[in-house]
Amino acid sequence: MERVSMKRTSLLFTAALAGLFFAASSFSQGLSIGSAMEDFTLSDTNGANHSLADLKGKNGAVVVFLSAQCPVVRGYVSRLNELAAEYQAKGINFIGINSNATEDLNWVKSNVAEYGYKFPVLIDKGAVLADKLGATVTPEAYYIDAKSVLLYHGAIDNDRSGRNVTDMYLKTAFDASLTGKKITRTSANAFGCSIRKTAD
Amino acid sequence: MSREIKMVRAAFLAFMTCCLLAVSGLGQSASETAPVSAAKITQIDIAALKQLMKPNGKPRLVNFWATWCGPCREEYPDLVKIDEQYRGKIDFLTVSLDEPADKDTAVPKFLAEMKAEMPAYLLVTNNDDEAAMAAVSKSWNGALPFTILFDPSGGVAYVRQGKVRIDLLKAALGKYVAPSNTAAQK
Repeated sequence: MERVSMKRTSLLFTAALAGLFFAASSFSQGLSIGSAMEDFTLSDTNGANHSLADLKGKNGAVVVFLSAQCPVVRGYVSRLNELAAEYQAKGINFIGINSNATEDLNWVKSNVAEYGYKFPVLIDKGAVLADKLGATVTPEAYYIDAKSVLLYHGAIDNDRSGRNVTDMYLKTAFDASLTGKKITRTSANAFGCSIRKTAD
Repeated sequence: MSREIKMVRAAFLAFMTCCLLAVSGLGQSASETAPVSAAKITQIDIAALKQLMKPNGKPRLVNFWATWCGPCREEYPDLVKIDEQYRGKIDFLTVSLDEPADKDTAVPKFLAEMKAEMPAYLLVTNNDDEAAMAAVSKSWNGALPFTILFDPSGGVAYVRQGKVRIDLLKAALGKYVAPSNTAAQK
C-alpha cells in the first residue's frame, strides 16, 4: 500500500516536473510561427485599456515592441509610420508596445507625441507580454492574421540605418498574405536595443 | 628714409604678431575638437568576425556593443575591470555595431572615456545582420549588448544577451583562469 502510494507520489512528482519543464521551455521560446497569439489587454499612455481583439484589423495586426530611448527605434519611426499608413488602410492595424521598465509613463507619453506614431502605443508593465511572446529587442515585430495566427516575426527590414534597405521583410510578408501567397521569409533577426525588463 | 624703414619694420612686426596669434588660436581650437583618444578601431566584415570567434589557446571573451546602446554603455566599466583582472589570461575583445562613420569619432571617444584597452573592432554587416549573428551564436537574436565566452577549445562557456551578470561571468571564467591578485582587489 505504501509502495503504491510512493509510486503514485513519484509519478505525480515526475508529471509536475515535466509540466514545469514544458512551461519553462515554451516560456523561453515565445510565440512560434503558426501559433495563435492570445488576446491581451493593456493600457495606453492615457490610461485607457485596449485589447488585441479590439485593435486588430480585418486582416490582422502587427504588434511591434518599441522604446523611447533606443536610437534604432528612432531610425525606424518614419518607416513604421509609412507602413502603418499604407497597411492600416488595407486592414492590418499596428499596435506599439513599450515593455521597458526603465522608461516611465511620462517619458513614453512625451516620446509617443514626439514621434507622432500613427497607431496606439500600449504599456506592458512588468514586460508580461514581451515574456509571453519571447520579445527581447526593439524594434521587434509580430505580424498576425485575422485569426491571430503568427505569420511573421522579427526585423522590419534589413537595414537599421534606413539608407540601404534591400529587403523589406515585414512589407513583403503583408503583400504575400494579402494576395493569398505563401510568405517565403517568416522570420528575420536584427540588431537592436535590449528590452529592459527590470529597472537595474 | 630711415623713418620709413622703421615704419615698414613696425608694420611687419605687427603683421607677424597677428599671424602668430591667429595660428595659436587655430591650434587651440583644433585640439579642442579632436577625438579624445587615438584608440585604434579595426573595421571588420563577417568573414573576419568568424575568425575572431575562434579561441587561440585561451578563453576568449567577446562583447558586442554600440555607442547608441544604453545598457552597453552602462556595463562597460564592469567590462574594463574584467579586462584588468584577467589581462594576459584570457583574450578579451569588443566588437562595435556602430556605423562605419563612427569608427574614428564616437567609438574611440567612448573607449577613451572608459579607459578601455581591449582590442576594439567595428563590424560592418553590409545589410546582412543575420549572417553576423549566425557567425557568433544561435542564441543571439540581435539585442545589444551581447557577450559570449568561449572556452579554449571553442565551446560556449557563458552567453548573455543584455547586461552582463558579472558574478556569473566571473564564475564561468573561474573554471579556466583566476583573476590576478592585485587587479582583483580593485
